[in-house]
Amino acid sequence: MPIYFTEHEIVVPGQLLSDNGKRSGEGTYTHGGKIYAARIGFASIRDNKVVVTPFKAAYKPAPGDWVVGIVSDVKPNGFEIDLGRHLKGTIRIPDREEVISTGLNVGDVVYVRIKESGLSGVVIDKRSRIRRIESGILIQIHPAKIPRLIGRRGSMINLIKRLTGCEIIVGKNGFIVINGPSPEAEFAAVKAVKMIEEEAHISGLTERVEKLLRELVGGAGAPSS
Amino acid sequence: MSRPERLIDENGRRVDGRRADELRPIRMEVGVLDKSDGSAYVEFGGTKVIAAVFGPREAHPRHLALPDRAILNCRYHMTSFSVEERKPLGMTRREIELSKVIREALETVAFLEEFPRAAIDVYVEVVQADGGTRTAGLTAASLALADAGIPMADLIAGVAVGKVDGQLVLDLCDLEDKYGEADMPVAMAPRFNSIVMLQLNGRMTVEEFKRGLALAKKGIDEIYRLQREALKKKFSKISPEEV
Amino acid sequence: MALAPKKDLTAKIMRSKIYSLLLQDKRIDGRKPTDLRPIKIETGLLSKAEGSALVSMGSTKILTGIKVEVGVPFPDRPDEGTFTVNAELLPLASASFEPGPPDERGIELARVVDRSLREGRVLDLKKLCLIEGEKVYVLFIDIYVLDYDGNYFDPSLISALAALATAKLPRYDVVDGKLQKTGEYFTPEIRSLPFTVMVGVIGEKFLLDPQLEEEKVLDVSLVMGADEKGNITCVQKNSPGQVPLELMDSIVDIVIEKTGEIRRKFLQEVPVKLAESP
Repeated sequence: MPIYFTEHEIVVPGQLLSDNGKRSGEGTYTHGGKIYAARIGFASIRDNKVVVTPFKAAYKPAPGDWVVGIVSDVKPNGFEIDLGRHLKGTIRIPDREEVISTGLNVGDVVYVRIKESGLSGVVIDKRSRIRRIESGILIQIHPAKIPRLIGRRGSMINLIKRLTGCEIIVGKNGFIVINGPSPEAEFAAVKAVKMIEEEAHISGLTERVEKLLRELVGGAGAPSS
Repeated sequence: MSRPERLIDENGRRVDGRRADELRPIRMEVGVLDKSDGSAYVEFGGTKVIAAVFGPREAHPRHLALPDRAILNCRYHMTSFSVEERKPLGMTRREIELSKVIREALETVAFLEEFPRAAIDVYVEVVQADGGTRTAGLTAASLALADAGIPMADLIAGVAVGKVDGQLVLDLCDLEDKYGEADMPVAMAPRFNSIVMLQLNGRMTVEEFKRGLALAKKGIDEIYRLQREALKKKFSKISPEEV
Repeated sequence: MALAPKKDLTAKIMRSKIYSLLLQDKRIDGRKPTDLRPIKIETGLLSKAEGSALVSMGSTKILTGIKVEVGVPFPDRPDEGTFTVNAELLPLASASFEPGPPDERGIELARVVDRSLREGRVLDLKKLCLIEGEKVYVLFIDIYVLDYDGNYFDPSLISALAALATAKLPRYDVVDGKLQKTGEYFTPEIRSLPFTVMVGVIGEKFLLDPQLEEEKVLDVSLVMGADEKGNITCVQKNSPGQVPLELMDSIVDIVIEKTGEIRRKFLQEVPVKLAESP
């Protein structure tokens, strides 16, 4: 198929990518049988489709996603959870007494799983435990950067946890809660997360994160395992 | 500011020394503000605008939300000191009209159906006005939308053409806008070779109108090139190895 | 009636985190409780405004422009020029700012800056008189918040002062009782440089120049200012909540010290020589 980009080229909305409209994938659209970029990102061919991996994209909730949210409303039949920007999740609890017995209130931070996301909005899975987060620094990063923060098989997030000794809860919606053994350790973890957000696509990221953390906490955040 | 004796001299030079088909020096920078989801600064000579985008976010008030797509809101606004005579605070009728035509232009390229029930808010702030603020504002707004990660069919580039001392000129400055015979802001989605904003203030012959559009297209092609460059520049530190 | 703007949703855990850090003299961004964020000042960026300044304090960005007109003096001050201050929290600065006429926050900001300039006796208004009882310079100082990451007060006053100190006012000759532009310009005399520092209180602790995450969880906040002579030129308790009286002595001391720090920075960045004050 004729393509008009080099592998991993930065492309912008409207840029012609291919003549073969049948192979239009994520981040692209077709017009007149041709494929164009719909977002700014890297163009590549994946599974025989032309895709654009966006640098920025709003979080799209999917069933099974674990997210961090802030309780924004308490109603007789459940809770409304703020998941950032335009997203509200609902926890439906038919029984009023049960709503009260959860002890949740506006401003509480919770770690929950999405059951469904569709025309009726985002519904939280009640069967998975609704975990209230009792303490920590809550920060928000761009949801598109979450996969990079986690890394291959959790390599990046585990590196930060190991070097700082922090517990880090990552919501797919971009909300992150950090709890550490000391303010310095937490501060180092926050810096590392921000570095990943800003430099997610610059090569050598793992090395830079590790270097930053060793400078900040000397890798002594946690007892070596 | 008074009217110069001639807006075009015997050598065909304009008040600022440009030829008829020449753009002013253009500067563009993407991602200039921290707290918005996307932003851009655009300068066409003395015209300076900032645009910022918030969203997709919850639509307010909620009854305005649409079940199948996002609503796009737009506000074009000028700072009080952007013009020669201080502009009173608050939105003027002109600003409300321009907000509408800018919004309608952006709606033609943004894939709003990707975000049901949400709102995308676009704010254009004119920091200094020296002619062509709506087209510079729209040019900046489309960069800010792209920077915010909103899927779009194309960027939008705009420029004003006009008639000055009987001649067609590209990218009017304030003096030419005030004392010329016509001002025609044009914006296009260059990928589709289509017009997304078109207004006329003044009078032209049919032949002038047609030539004016062609002249605008020439400027727009150059502006579009600069837009793509500015967007890519913001992310140029990036290398793909770790995607 | 001043309607309370919608309050942002804040996570309760952030308040306890920020407070517990404060107990250890620490903050979430690594600052000490009394550290200010880095200040950047740029002047003379605009040509249609007679004066302009872009000031950032951390990520908070403020643009101020000054427009000058000739107008009529107030009847009770026939020999003095006038100035007014306006402020707008532009919706492009924050997801929590709404388009529309300035709400109570914008008006409060304008008035706090206005009082600082007035009580600080920054301008010699008598030198802005053209024809007594008839014509005086009228200065419009318009402040726009462009990017809001907490504490828009301190950088707004810095930008108003920087715009004033670098403004170019057209000079006029009085010929047969009429004004004629000479084509020359002058910079108004600056007699004093009052600055403010925003103080945030949590429990029995306080911090200075809160960034947004901190500002959202403060129990109460104050904006306090002082001039180079150590006069208090501005005080505004600007949020609900109660300030423990026993904190005030140390707050006043630190405000004097930190406004001095801002003043030194200002004098490095902005070409200004203080005129003799009366």
